Amino acid sequence: MEAIIKSQNEQWRSGIAKGITFIVTKDCQLACKYCYLVGKNSKERMPWSIAKQTVDYILDHENDFKEESVIWDFIGGEPFLEIDLIDKICDYIKMEMFRRNHHWFNSYRFSFSTNGINYHEEKIQQFIEKNRNHLSIGITIDGTRQKHDLNRVYKNSERGSYDDVVKNIPLWQFQFPGMGTKVTISSADLPYIKESVLHLFSLGIPEVNINCVFEDVWKEGDDLIFQNQLIELADAIIDNGLYENNVCSFFQEHLGKPLDRKLQNQNWCGAGKMLAVDAAGIFYPCTRFAQYSLRDKKAWIIGNVNEGIDKNKLRGFLTLDRCTQSTKECIDCEVAEGCAWCQGENYDAADTCTAFQRSTAICKMHKARVRANNYYWNKLFRKLELEGIERERANEHVKQPQMKDIC
Amino acid sequence: MLKYLVILLDDTSTSFCHYDNRKSESRLMPIETLKGGIRFGMMENLMIQFVYPVDALPLEHLKAIETIDHGVIAPSGSPVSADVVVFNDWDTFLKFDYPDMGTFVLRTDSKQLCENPKYLESVLYQVTRLNIVLTDIETMNDEDFEKYDRFLDELRGIMKRLYLKGYQTQCNLITDRIVLDAMNNCNAGTESITLAPNGKFYICPGFYYDGLDAVGSLEDGLDIKNPQLYRLDHAPLCRICEAYHCKRCIWLNQKTTIEVNTPSHEQCVVAHMERNQARLLLNELQDRGIYDKKQEIKEISYLDPFDVKDEW
Repeated sequence: MEAIIKSQNEQWRSGIAKGITFIVTKDCQLACKYCYLVGKNSKERMPWSIAKQTVDYILDHENDFKEESVIWDFIGGEPFLEIDLIDKICDYIKMEMFRRNHHWFNSYRFSFSTNGINYHEEKIQQFIEKNRNHLSIGITIDGTRQKHDLNRVYKNSERGSYDDVVKNIPLWQFQFPGMGTKVTISSADLPYIKESVLHLFSLGIPEVNINCVFEDVWKEGDDLIFQNQLIELADAIIDNGLYENNVCSFFQEHLGKPLDRKLQNQNWCGAGKMLAVDAAGIFYPCTRFAQYSLRDKKAWIIGNVNEGIDKNKLRGFLTLDRCTQSTKECIDCEVAEGCAWCQGENYDAADTCTAFQRSTAICKMHKARVRANNYYWNKLFRKLELEGIERERANEHVKQPQMKDIC
Repeated sequence: MLKYLVILLDDTSTSFCHYDNRKSESRLMPIETLKGGIRFGMMENLMIQFVYPVDALPLEHLKAIETIDHGVIAPSGSPVSADVVVFNDWDTFLKFDYPDMGTFVLRTDSKQLCENPKYLESVLYQVTRLNIVLTDIETMNDEDFEKYDRFLDELRGIMKRLYLKGYQTQCNLITDRIVLDAMNNCNAGTESITLAPNGKFYICPGFYYDGLDAVGSLEDGLDIKNPQLYRLDHAPLCRICEAYHCKRCIWLNQKTTIEVNTPSHEQCVVAHMERNQARLLLNELQDRGIYDKKQEIKEISYLDPFDVKDEW
């Protein structure tokens, strides 16, 4: 499963865009070892009739979708396996938004997270050409060949996919200059973090958005390996001046501060504010609540294309706040800022059928990240200071992140 | 802190709340389970409420029940003398020979209720307290809400007439809110727990009858996962709400929103309509010198706190 990537173009509408996700297929060429989609298959492909009904439902209910703009997101499996369907859906969306004089017309984007394997193919390139001005595409590449091929292997063969992806990176960067990638870290990936991030920078990808998986996969000692990798990465970025043109999201200046119970009580995750639809026309608060994403729980269904959205099924998500779902330890944590969670994983891992129980599997990894992050900024600010750059003006010499991830 | 233990004596024990009991086949709680439940209640210092079926219980069960101070909830046709008598149909409700004391529960759908406010008046003159429980809240739509508001308007008139004649009858839908200054909800899972005939504990009878997960057993003890979610302070919508009389039905919450701490739009609207009518009744009774003028229910502009959550 590709991670969701938000481009710099999308940040233009960050927070005011409705995210609508079509799960066009549950098939993928790959069988990534960390993939949370436990129910992938080649049978569940979205029929055109369902896609059309979905678009009609959404555009028919303009009052229920008042966000200023929209991101039509296509995921899988691998979405580009269904390029013919996607092309038809996108044409229909554009035509209908125009015909209806819908407030989203000219305030929309099509967004894709792809494994990049068939990026160069003619049909996909034609689609890109046709929709260039309203398009965001993120290609997932995990780092060096060794790191990438550790997890991102073809199904049935165990063969790594690195070579097939990396050959498409120059074309992708030419078409979408500055576009970043997202990397997902699991336990086995930890020793490769530094070389992987540096490798991605060397491929011309300026921004690496990277996070640890939220699932409970972490072993004793992983936090130390993680911390040491990040400190080595910090040294490499600072000593070689890479911070001027590159960003790694592990390092963020305001990370690791305590959070105010009242003023900083917002939920982290956007589940419930988005809408996902699968091949059967069933609606979910986010793709992570579809059955193929869940290990132990039933799918969290909020409606379907025939009956519409049951708004009662969204009330919990839309009233969720940080403290209500957190343990006392999390609420009182002195390094809480930046500690993320996935509502779907919270639900999947919860003791009862609820999204109000925050999973804390990531705790020790977040604390390790905070320590390395402190090291990074102390070292970077000192270096800049010695170069005569005042702290207040330091950010002018450090590339700022363009991407904003929502998961 | 737990205060009450509800014991369902049989699978056909009457519903006394929003949930339906569709079981028609008797499955009596085994005597050892009953004794175990009573023992549990005694050890945990819980007030036990026995919920009866229509059919008479064996003598052995009746003897066991009398070993502890308790309350009795029974359907109107039951031979037992009950603290709370439950009516599941209007015919029996209207023809019943009401004793001087006691609490009575009328379970009805909103359609029948809205059609019968006049009939209700005759009963309200005969009882000290009537709880009306709607059995179809989750399916009510805007048209039903309008009808319900008109019914409440009539009920307010009935209650005003009663009070002006010196009666002090309580009707949960409209008088409870007047006397409350803080949330007073069902509190299943925090203040009460239910023991079913199978010897297992459930959050409330509705959870048992719907086949939902048990939260422990007499054998293994009580084991409520995520207990904080049943508390008011972990209910984002309810903890800021002023419809103090609302049942805040955990079973309805779970059924309609999946979350036990989150009420549906319908539950909120119904509770707020009742709250607003209670406000009008209070004002009218204050004007006639029946209530202290210091008492106040503020005017609000919404029927569902969810609609104003951005202002919290």
